Amino acid sequence: MRPGPSAHSVDRLGPLPTVATAIAAAAFVAIVASLVAGGGAISLPWAPTLGLRIEFALDGLALLYGLLATGIGLLVFAYGAAYLPRHLAHEGRPRAEERRFWPWMTLFLVAMVGLAMARDLILMFVFFDLTAVASYFLIGFDRHRPEARGAAFMALLVTGVSAVALLLGTVLLQAEYGTFSLPELFTRARPGPVTTTAAALIAVAALAKSAQVPLHFWLPRAMAAPTPVSAYLHSAAMVAAGVLVIGRVHPLLALNPVVLDALLLVGFVSIAVGGVLALAQDELKQILAHSTISQYGYVVVLYGIGGPDGAVAAALYVIAHAIAKSALFMTAGAVSEATGESRLSRLGGLGRELPVLAVASGIVAASLAALPLTLGFFKDELFFAAASGKGPLVASFAVVAAALTFAYLARFWLGVFSGPRHAEASRVPWLLVAPIAVLAILSIAGGILVAPFERLAESAAAVTHGSAIDVAPGYHLDLRIENVMAVAAWGLGAVLLVGARWREPAVSAISRAGDRIGPRRVYSVLLSALNRMSDAAHRAEVRDLRTSLAAILVPTGILVALGFAATPTEGAYVAGPITSADLPIVALLAVAILAALTAARDRGRLRPVLALSVLGFSLAGVYAVMGAPDVALVAVVIETVVSLVFVAVYSRLPGTTVGRPARAAAASHRFRNAAAGIIAGVSAFAVIWAALSRPSLGGSDAAEQIRRTPDAHGGDVVTVILADFRGLDTMVEITVLAVAIMGVASLLRRFDRA
Amino acid sequence: MSPIIDVVAPRLLAPAVMLAAALIVKGYTDVGEGFSAGVIVALAIALRYVALGRTRADRTFALARRAHLVAAGGLLVALAFGFAGVAFGRPPFTHLPLPGESVMRIGRLEITTAVGFDVGLFLLVSGGLTVLVRHLTGLMPADETEPEGDG
Repeated sequence: MRPGPSAHSVDRLGPLPTVATAIAAAAFVAIVASLVAGGGAISLPWAPTLGLRIEFALDGLALLYGLLATGIGLLVFAYGAAYLPRHLAHEGRPRAEERRFWPWMTLFLVAMVGLAMARDLILMFVFFDLTAVASYFLIGFDRHRPEARGAAFMALLVTGVSAVALLLGTVLLQAEYGTFSLPELFTRARPGPVTTTAAALIAVAALAKSAQVPLHFWLPRAMAAPTPVSAYLHSAAMVAAGVLVIGRVHPLLALNPVVLDALLLVGFVSIAVGGVLALAQDELKQILAHSTISQYGYVVVLYGIGGPDGAVAAALYVIAHAIAKSALFMTAGAVSEATGESRLSRLGGLGRELPVLAVASGIVAASLAALPLTLGFFKDELFFAAASGKGPLVASFAVVAAALTFAYLARFWLGVFSGPRHAEASRVPWLLVAPIAVLAILSIAGGILVAPFERLAESAAAVTHGSAIDVAPGYHLDLRIENVMAVAAWGLGAVLLVGARWREPAVSAISRAGDRIGPRRVYSVLLSALNRMSDAAHRAEVRDLRTSLAAILVPTGILVALGFAATPTEGAYVAGPITSADLPIVALLAVAILAALTAARDRGRLRPVLALSVLGFSLAGVYAVMGAPDVALVAVVIETVVSLVFVAVYSRLPGTTVGRPARAAAASHRFRNAAAGIIAGVSAFAVIWAALSRPSLGGSDAAEQIRRTPDAHGGDVVTVILADFRGLDTMVEITVLAVAIMGVASLLRRFDRA
Repeated sequence: MSPIIDVVAPRLLAPAVMLAAALIVKGYTDVGEGFSAGVIVALAIALRYVALGRTRADRTFALARRAHLVAAGGLLVALAFGFAGVAFGRPPFTHLPLPGESVMRIGRLEITTAVGFDVGLFLLVSGGLTVLVRHLTGLMPADETEPEGDG
């Protein structure tokens, strides 16, 4: 029996969370300090021949996301220090498994800060993918649970595959404008089809990362992660990385209004889908996950609206959302920890037992629902202002969006903390509540004194928009359009909340329809089809030795044939004269042909092997006669080794003769074998003939290498090429060789009795 | 096993190493380089293992049991010679001494970075192949009939 974890053991803080939290705190302090010092930039050459630089700068946008990643990171890490030991104890896993958690959390933080500060597109791609890698291991932390593994794989696949679009866009831009550096791109880029394509590709990667429809489905599954991961991933890390990229490359997106309109559309669809599905969920973390889809939809809409208003509203929205969403996830975790329940239908009335948690999470929920006296009020004020400037249609969508947000947040908070009590709550450790309280205080402070947050958002928006912006959010007791829209949204939201009788069938019908025909279904159908295809190819390849060989030789032959079809063959197939000096070569080649025929026709076992060895040695002789002694030497030693290994392996084969069924199978495969042999043989013949027809040195690297060999203090060109001119190639090749030897040795060791 | 092989196999390693050394030393000005030299030494070791069997060969030639370390060391040597220049601000695989500068010689051996790289290659190939030979002879039925040592 495993002894139950004592309260003492889960309350003791381990060294790893302490170190991780200290790193987050140090990074936060460093960013604040460099803010006071007036920013900073690093620019180092990375790969000068490719024009790559390690280019970091702490501008407004970097500051915003850096402060979020480290500040919220600090609070979430502190929360996680208390949460993770309890989580592991519930799952019956040892404390030592924290080792598999904190390094990835720290990488998550570092990657996010790096992404925020990167000014080079390749560098951005690297950090973008690093967040995906870290999230894979964090979402799959409970690796014994299949749904956690599936969720981790789905998140990696959806965000990782679409990240390739970011790389494609980057390469397109480099090919067009000759630079990876963003500040240079902004000055050089002009509207055009290439720029539009590249911008759209980058936007696709960013939208998938920010879980926008139709690539949103990975995010709700990702709540299989432990709560601190969800709190961080949804607020300041993974998902925020997408809108960070949009905010960073926005000047490129803005070159074509169609791209911005597409953002607007995707954003509104995401708000609607996320909001409606959030109303349909019962599990706390599922409600919050769908809310995240909807909330980042707002940010995408604002970037789609563009201009100074959109940019600053988006920046403020990201701040307010990150503060509120991390606190709400931590609330969900604390409630589940206290009661053991994670479903809305089994919770309720916890306000009396957990008053601090209730008040703190009420404040952050109010902030996200944009009630007055919270930071969130101003995010919606700017949102409404930007939307109303875009016409009545966008404005009315904006009101519906805010109403949905109000409704699902009220349903969440009221469902947990008010009404009749369904579940008993135990005491919650202070470290699970304190971070939420800090975030609540921040929300209230922002509601009273918005200036610091406003300045942060303005400096970030100045980067996005390209010029300085000044907005003045504030409370106005009059009938301006923002106030009217806000009141309309609350009213509509209250109607949605109260009208549970007709709301619930509607949202659950939509939710079911989404499960049946939604993109997640497409994903699973595609994935299983891919899996079946791969299995079928694998089975065909490994069925017997001949199919394994054919799997290499036939595709090679076909590719070579295609290459020949596309290459001019004039002068390529020359049959030169045969002089008396060539007689040794002819004789050696005749031996080689006889040996090859023997190897193919002989039914014995050892004779074909020996014939192959004769073939190899006679070819080595040809090299020696043709004046390539280096090649001949290598051919001889390799041929010796291969022959010995062949004989050694054959001595291990069972001694039975080939039986009747095997012969029948061989006969039925005769046509297949002949076809494979002809395809591979003819293409190899064509390649060698073409190569031997033009052995000229003129204008090639070879002439230059021969000329420079004395400079390298060498006399033998081949050796100098291998060890010096192409030294890096050789280095890579011998590294591959070492890895292959390691692989073979580890296979052999399993059967080696010593 | 024929008595000739029994006698020759253990004594063939020294000449093989000599041949390999010659290939490396003169390799930079004449035919041959570290790869061929490594294969030749590995062949001599293979012959020893095939002739004596795994147990006896291991006992008489202790270094073969550490062949994986030789291979790893060779890779490190090659890496070191290839990338040492990076530490001094030169591109990887810079040929030192530079073209035109005079080369230190020990007899016919010219001391250059490329020769050092070649030595690393030799160690990797000979060590790696020896690892495989040892495991393969461990699978050999012949080894099972060998006397399992007499002490």
